[in-house]
Amino acid sequence: MRAIDYALREGWASLWRSRGSSAFAILAIALAMIVMGTLLLVTWNVERLLAQWASAAEFSVYLRDDASSEQRGAIETAIDSSGVVEQREYVSKADAIGRFRREFAELASLTESFEDNPFPASLEIRIRPDAEQDGRAGALVQQVAGLPGVADVRYDREWIGRLAAGLSAIRGAGLLLAVVMALAAALTVASVVRLGMNARRQEIDIMQLVGSPIAFIRGPFIAEGVLQGGLGALTATAFLWLGLRLVSAWWGTELSALFDGGSIEFLPARLAAALVTGGMAVGGLGGFAASRHAI
Amino acid sequence: MIETQHLSKLYSRGLYALRDLTINVAKGEFVFLTGPSGAGKSTLLRLLLLQERPSEGEIFVNGHNLATLSRSDIQEYRRGIGFIFQDFKLIPTRTVLENVSFVPEVLGVPAAQQKRRAFQVLKWVGLQHRMNALPQDLSGGEQQRVAIARALASEPVLLLADEPTGNLDPDLSLEIMNLLREVNAGGTTVLVATHDRELIRLVGRRTITLDGGHMVEVA
Ligand SMILES: Nc1ncnc2c1ncn2[C@@H]1O[C@H](COP(=O)(O)OP(=O)(O)O)[C@@H](O)[C@H]1O
Ligand SMILES: [Mg+2]
Repeated sequence: MRAIDYALREGWASLWRSRGSSAFAILAIALAMIVMGTLLLVTWNVERLLAQWASAAEFSVYLRDDASSEQRGAIETAIDSSGVVEQREYVSKADAIGRFRREFAELASLTESFEDNPFPASLEIRIRPDAEQDGRAGALVQQVAGLPGVADVRYDREWIGRLAAGLSAIRGAGLLLAVVMALAAALTVASVVRLGMNARRQEIDIMQLVGSPIAFIRGPFIAEGVLQGGLGALTATAFLWLGLRLVSAWWGTELSALFDGGSIEFLPARLAAALVTGGMAVGGLGGFAASRHAI
Repeated sequence: MIETQHLSKLYSRGLYALRDLTINVAKGEFVFLTGPSGAGKSTLLRLLLLQERPSEGEIFVNGHNLATLSRSDIQEYRRGIGFIFQDFKLIPTRTVLENVSFVPEVLGVPAAQQKRRAFQVLKWVGLQHRMNALPQDLSGGEQQRVAIARALASEPVLLLADEPTGNLDPDLSLEIMNLLREVNAGGTTVLVATHDRELIRLVGRRTITLDGGHMVEVA
């Protein structure tokens, strides 16, 4: 306890004494933590988005214009008896063109020139989220696609899969970058802390000769690194929070559409805490490396 | 208390700073270590404080073989030793009181006791009135007394002093020796390295004489 108290006091004093170079180390940590934090933010939000989409999984069955009502009835029966459907809605050709005119008002005039309605009738099906995951939805799509009267089935899951794969690729590359930057930051901390060690060389020599416990000799340098890391990570967290506010301010409407009325969110407390802890660990690592030169 | 067996320290170029030294210092003794400059006095004290390792031979202190101590054992061993350096080694940016209380502080003594202990030893060496001065504002004799106070702050069982009067005039030297004698009277074993034969004659204690790293006389 006394060793920790002593380490924090001396570590802070040393950080303050060499605040110029400490700011440099704090910046290095902050940069690494910004990369790490951005990664966490993107992952966190994209995963939320994917989960939201997965729970709102839909597919559309486009009917041939010449499909008979018996054929449509058979398709509806197949869908209803599959047990994976939450909701089914019939969109007639007239509904479809009406919807187009509403959603793309500026193109509405275009539809006036059509000789006949080019929009197919369709069945819009909302799937239960669990069916989406265990593949039963996929099986139903295949089955329905083969039924008479069906022109096409649009089941837009592939690109969600691609998005998820893309996300894990970004995550891999980002993680690598973050680790490299964290190592560089730890090295920066180590050299800044070592620089400060020179100012205390005489005290350290005396500590050694009077038999000061090793925890007392090394502790201040580790504490200094932890403090630099913590300050760097807090800086990064504040920066990320501001960045997110700016992004929301500029692209708020687009993002809101993407999230079905929701919005991108900042890291939950536990992830933000993990980020700060990570920064402290990286700084502590640098401080520990430096402390090994003390005794 | 201290026992060395066939102790040698070899620096580069085949030069022995100490050669085949076997000595004994009993608990509670006051012993002088003398000899001309370059005889190996400082080297022996450095080996005793484990600032350096012997090239050959062994050192036992209180029955412990110093060669077997781990890094943290070494720190613990040093806690029992007070060391007075010829050049004082005071921290220039700290006051007299802080220089002395620094030792209990870095040994993990509770804050309230740090100052109390420091004040006690400063009073004992007669420097309580210079408590808040910086080392640079003190005379040589006063600085040496601060160094002694600091060495005593950890209540050592063994006090090692390397030329503690090297920079002082004869009157002050005798005054410092009297302080060390008092420390010894309190039960602390004292080993003082000095080339000042006149001082040894005045104090009159057992003397180990070195020359060229060899022991040439015990008197
Ligand atoms: N670090 C060192 N490297 C090389 N030679 C040294 C070193 N320290 C001391 N010596 C040599 O060892 C011998 C003994 O030195 P020292 O113990 O300082 O003698 P004293 O204290 O009796 O004057 C001297 O010849 C000195 O030059
Ligand atoms: Mg010497």
